[in-house]
Amino acid sequence: MRPAPIYLDHAATTPVREEVLAAMTPYFSVRFGNPSSSHRVGREARAAFDEARERIAACLGAHADEIVFTSGGTESDNLAILGTWRVLRTRGRDVVVTAPTEHKAVLEVAHHVADEGGTERLLDVDDEGRVRPEALDAALDARVAVCAVMWINNETGVVQDVPAITERVKAAGALMHTDAVQAFGKLPIDLRTLPVDLLAMSGHKLGGPKGIGALFVRRGTPLAPLLHGGAQDRGRRPGTENVAAAIGLAVAAERALAERAHEWARLEALRDALQRTVLARVPDAVVHSAGAPRAPHILNLSVPGTDSESLLMALDLAGICASGGSACQSGSVGTSHVLAAMGVSRELAAGAVRLSLGALTTDDDVTRVGEVFPALVEKARRLAGAVSA
Amino acid sequence: MSRGRVLVAMSGGVDSSVAAALLHADGYEVIGATMKLTCHGDELPDRPCCSLDSVNDARRVCERLGAPHYVLNLESAFSRDVVRDFAEEYARGRTPIPCVRCNTFTKFRDLARKAAALDCDFVATGHYAQLHDGALHRGLDPAKDQSYFLWGLERAILSRLLLPVGGRTKAETRATARALDLVVVADKPESQDICFVPDGDHVAVVRRELGADAPALQRGPFVDRDGRVLGEHDGFARFTIGQRRGVPGGFPEPMFVIAIHPDTRAVVLGPRDALLGRGIVALGMNWLLEVALEQPLPAIAPGQSLVCYDGTRVLGGGVIEAGLAAA
Repeated sequence: MRPAPIYLDHAATTPVREEVLAAMTPYFSVRFGNPSSSHRVGREARAAFDEARERIAACLGAHADEIVFTSGGTESDNLAILGTWRVLRTRGRDVVVTAPTEHKAVLEVAHHVADEGGTERLLDVDDEGRVRPEALDAALDARVAVCAVMWINNETGVVQDVPAITERVKAAGALMHTDAVQAFGKLPIDLRTLPVDLLAMSGHKLGGPKGIGALFVRRGTPLAPLLHGGAQDRGRRPGTENVAAAIGLAVAAERALAERAHEWARLEALRDALQRTVLARVPDAVVHSAGAPRAPHILNLSVPGTDSESLLMALDLAGICASGGSACQSGSVGTSHVLAAMGVSRELAAGAVRLSLGALTTDDDVTRVGEVFPALVEKARRLAGAVSA
Repeated sequence: MSRGRVLVAMSGGVDSSVAAALLHADGYEVIGATMKLTCHGDELPDRPCCSLDSVNDARRVCERLGAPHYVLNLESAFSRDVVRDFAEEYARGRTPIPCVRCNTFTKFRDLARKAAALDCDFVATGHYAQLHDGALHRGLDPAKDQSYFLWGLERAILSRLLLPVGGRTKAETRATARALDLVVVADKPESQDICFVPDGDHVAVVRRELGADAPALQRGPFVDRDGRVLGEHDGFARFTIGQRRGVPGGFPEPMFVIAIHPDTRAVVLGPRDALLGRGIVALGMNWLLEVALEQPLPAIAPGQSLVCYDGTRVLGGGVIEAGLAAA
């Protein structure tokens, strides 16, 4: 039998933590109620659901009524941008500002705004993938409805200066949204001191279940719902509440925050060790966003003369799960729009591999990958050389 | 002990799925690969192959076998080597067979290269063709034989090639799929025409690749063998040697396309006997040969393939350059 794979794709998804699963389980069976029901079974579910909302709010320094549960990060980003833009466009603010390095859940929504008659403005980023402050200043004016900049980039791990960006956006009278799907549970977030208006989270990136996410919506923020058909969550997000998953998200967030500082240091040490080992054996490998503050769990690198597709297959056959730039619907590997926006050459971007560490990652994993990865690279290059010769 | 590692090209159809399952049952270590040749964002509707559903079907079959499955993005190479060439051949007044080029370049060069990088000992497909002692032969099922499309393979690959369904009939393949419980693929409809040509409309591909103002799509004359103008057509890319459809009527005998001259955009018409050729000149990467025909053959279209057999054995082939007029 093949040994268990080494999982280095935590930025894609993470396993549900045992305590999360245990907390959710009763709400699939004995406490199965619909929170909208007025009877005892329903009340029980309502109480648990409201408590989950309060616990997530507490993790962020927010009020409970500022948390809207969604199906995940994508829905949260859609609701944040479209929900606010559709109100503000009627008030003369029809522009959405964002960066070309955003997740597609933001970027495609900005394109959609343009299709619906609004305007999208994409901010120039530097070689590390950070928004250029002068580009932001140039883009902000009295027509801007909302500016969306992700806190930690899911491909490179680069950390945007969200507090500084927020300050500029607020000064221009626009709303600030941040996709914190990778940042929630990793960075300290206190919404009492950080004046973002909207913040997107997802459950399955931090040990919670798939199919649940949340959007922080600061009190007083105008928001039109995307879905219609029920009064749940003040009409902001109709549909029967996903009680068990909401509880799962709350527990996962609390556990991640409790371990945050320790886990950050642990992953950073592992990631740095992995980076050092790989660079020692593949000195011309290029680590993306290495010159900027980076989240500790993401190592995105390109090896000149290799292609991600072949490297990822070879890694998989060697029992190592990693991913490339952006997965296409078919599962084939495309070239990363993030690296392209950072000015990485097409050839180099075509060889990008993202290794993302997390709860499952051990010292042994990193040691093994540090041996296998360079060996596979050397082989891939020998073959590429043989072909071009 | 494994009999070796094999990369199986899987379209998501019944033939390649059964090929993978048979190799797995025979003790090979199977790796499934589906080639992504066209953009799924711009999906051709109701295609039995090359579609996103087909990728998913191939993946499910592999999951059943416990085999890894990958999607290989060969879009740009396929677009260059096969689709572009297809359009350019029509622009030269010829009649291409893209499946030959797809096998020669995309499957057995690009895919085989991926296989080598993954330490695969073999490459396998679901083609109805057979290998005996390192020689390529027709498939057992005469109605399904696909050896014709494989003449362009490099000889070196034959020793690494496995064709598990070539010795079966299509009915047997379907029965095997049902017996192995590969229900997702067992009763799939046959893929018929060219995977990237929607509704058999090859002119649409020419237009997309070369632009609506390409000379091959502009009006030109129908002429007879003596150069007399007989009428007007709206683009010689719409015609192939031997074609009757779209040819004007009102002649004493039925007229066929007997030649296409891209330089003057002329489509030459002639009676049925003008289609006959007494010989064939073929060019190609493996062959440069002139084949004398015992009986004259009709409609020898440049761009089509000349494939030579000794009994069932495929000796090789080439791309037809010209027919030699019957004496």
